[in-house]
Amino acid sequence: MKKFLVVLLAMLSVVVLFAQKSGGRLVIAMETEPVGLDPHLVTAFASHRVLENIYDGLMRYGENMKLVPNIAEEAQAVDPYTIVFKIREGVRFHDGTPLTVEDVLFSFQRILNPDTKSPAAAYYQDVESIKAIGDNKIEFKLKKPMASALLPNFAGVNSSIVSKKSLESGKNLQLETNGTGPFYLAEYVQGNYMILKKNPYYFVKDQPYLDEIKIVFMPEEVSRVAALRNGDVDIAKINEPLNLKQFPEGRFKVYRSPVLSYYLIGINTTRKPLNDPKVRNALNYAINREAIIKVVAFSEGVVTGPLNPAVQPWALQPKDFEEYKYNPAKAKELLTQAGYPNGFEFEIVTSQRYNFDKVAEVIQAQLAEIGVKVKINLVEWGIFIKRWRESDFDAFISMNSGSIEPDIQFYRTFRTGGSTNVFLYSNPRVDELLELGRSTVDVMKRKEVYDELQRILVKESPIIFLYSANQIFVSNTSIEGFKLLPNESLVFLRETYKK
Amino acid sequence: MSFSYLLRRVITSVPTVFFVVFVVFIAIHLVPGDVVDMMLGTQNYLTQEQINQLYRQYGLDKPLIVQFGVWLKNLFTLDFGTSLRTGKKVIDLIFDRFPVTLELSILSMVFASAIGIPLGIVAAIKKDSFVDGLVRVVGLIGLSSPSFWVGAILIVIFSGTFKGFNIFGFVHIHEDFLRNLQVMFLPALTLGLMLAAQIMRMARSSMLDVLQQEYIRTAKAKGVSYSKLIGKHALKNALIPIVTLSGIQLGYLLAGTIVIENMFALPGLGRLLLQAVNERDYPVIQFVVMFIAMLIVILNILVDFIYTLIDPRVELK
Repeated sequence: MKKFLVVLLAMLSVVVLFAQKSGGRLVIAMETEPVGLDPHLVTAFASHRVLENIYDGLMRYGENMKLVPNIAEEAQAVDPYTIVFKIREGVRFHDGTPLTVEDVLFSFQRILNPDTKSPAAAYYQDVESIKAIGDNKIEFKLKKPMASALLPNFAGVNSSIVSKKSLESGKNLQLETNGTGPFYLAEYVQGNYMILKKNPYYFVKDQPYLDEIKIVFMPEEVSRVAALRNGDVDIAKINEPLNLKQFPEGRFKVYRSPVLSYYLIGINTTRKPLNDPKVRNALNYAINREAIIKVVAFSEGVVTGPLNPAVQPWALQPKDFEEYKYNPAKAKELLTQAGYPNGFEFEIVTSQRYNFDKVAEVIQAQLAEIGVKVKINLVEWGIFIKRWRESDFDAFISMNSGSIEPDIQFYRTFRTGGSTNVFLYSNPRVDELLELGRSTVDVMKRKEVYDELQRILVKESPIIFLYSANQIFVSNTSIEGFKLLPNESLVFLRETYKK
Repeated sequence: MSFSYLLRRVITSVPTVFFVVFVVFIAIHLVPGDVVDMMLGTQNYLTQEQINQLYRQYGLDKPLIVQFGVWLKNLFTLDFGTSLRTGKKVIDLIFDRFPVTLELSILSMVFASAIGIPLGIVAAIKKDSFVDGLVRVVGLIGLSSPSFWVGAILIVIFSGTFKGFNIFGFVHIHEDFLRNLQVMFLPALTLGLMLAAQIMRMARSSMLDVLQQEYIRTAKAKGVSYSKLIGKHALKNALIPIVTLSGIQLGYLLAGTIVIENMFALPGLGRLLLQAVNERDYPVIQFVVMFIAMLIVILNILVDFIYTLIDPRVELK
């Protein structure tokens, strides 16, 4: 009898536990709205956040940014030139059709087709061939031994698997979706809200827990705060840490996590006097990063080097760099050596978003202490991008998205002639290290390569790395299972539920 | 208003609308940063050849005047364009967004008139009294308070005080009437308060003018009752400048109130235009601007028509 009771209790608790996780409707307030829905084309951050819950890639990021298989059941780097993915069986698109190797092949052919103009094509430029092996495997042959460096790209929204049949039937993926992800897009009222509903075919058993997610677009922070306090939404993104005071503990939960994206000063390395690495390095010493974090981000952030300090084993810690210790005397000394004992004047171009203007003001004040006069030129974002692309600046303040993979973080940005090397930076040793890092398989040797690279990048500072701000979300207490990732992804909505 | 008058007004408005659209077209293309720049952002993932292909695809490789010509030609064939960023038809976007802005504008005017006109009249009748002073001070505060500030204060007050009152979560009026009114209440009040201040000042000065007219003195001498004197004889004439002002204000409102629509997360025309400008989504910008210009022209004709109703001496021919 006792045994029976124990079993009964155990069963009941399982039922209760399961019942707790299942069902419900979550309302989430987001600041920005997607711009387009085609996973292979979108570049807007807001599009990525939504589409990663609708589409799946071969891989995805799990907890602590660990790469885990997704549509691929297994990913194997057979050798440094070859990756083989075993495609999961039983995966269905939202319209009920099964996902096959054909769809995977088709997706990558579409990405690589220059007419598609997918941002992901650049990631796969060193892929020599893609072919199906049997009916459940797919093989990527690479021109360079960079299998492990390439893997994180398969987790990005731009590398999602789309339905060949849907596209061939003439569907416009910018307007309609058909993925394999945990939710499908049930309704989208532009400028107002989006409704994602539970995908009954989702291949992970019991997931997602929620029946429905309503994403409401609220551009103003004051509205998101009020809506959350008023109970109009369950969870919201908060940008200004000061607003956290409005959410008393006990009634609300605060989620914060460091992010990979980082604030930076980008420098045109061809314009005098900033073309002199010594001058750029002097600026490094004259900038008090902790003070910026305190004043602009209300201490919600961490100092970052060329790689986010949390990216292990690759990142060197900020304290390892002499240049990151605030030392105006040393800065002055370097400027004198470079022939500018009385300082100089230069312009920082920036825009009024994500507090760039505030960062610029603090830096202006800090550099004034060593006699360097900064003229801040605040421009509209479109104008900023134009000037960025044409390297039409002395320096700029902006934010770059970071990566856990050093090759992704550095290759395009610092290689001579790299597509995002708007700093016009060129150092043959850096080019050499970038190629070496890309093709070195041994982890220890690869680490040595990136250690040297990071040291050079800080010493020569085409970019002055500043800090990474925390991302903050606040929810009411009924929300469970919500987690943040450093790449600011919301893939954990599939494991979120309401009590 | 005769039909030939209406026709003449419509025809003479065409150059105005054309001019506005042309100027905006040139201006938005001259601003640095185009739709391709915005698409690439700070990622720069396409080759120069692919970028050139995009310009060709969007017709942006042609001289500006040719691009304008193409747009006009498409307009005449009822092809109003497609958003370059979202792939949606521009006409559908307008149909989705305009009703929200129209409702917000009308409700704001209702608030503004309901508050502004009576207060203005009271201030005029009780000129130089305490009430007049109070109304003038409140009016001045209303004029000088930016709408984003008033909106934020109202949001904070309502979200703390009235639990269960829907401040956000817009639904169309035909979907859920009560919820729609609740959600529209605060944004309309915010805009209404700002406009009420202007209407109130106009009502006061206009009423004061009228009250000094000789026919009012005559009416008083004839023993017309005070309420009739104000309500019938004075108010009707005092209304003309108020109608003009309201017409102009309604025009501004219909152009979309970007700040308020953003703050209250309303999917209106202003927010659409702002997003389109930010993304340099040219077809959306051009058509929305043309639509707004046309609305303002229509509104002006309507205001002129209302004059004839208020003052029979005004004749439109």
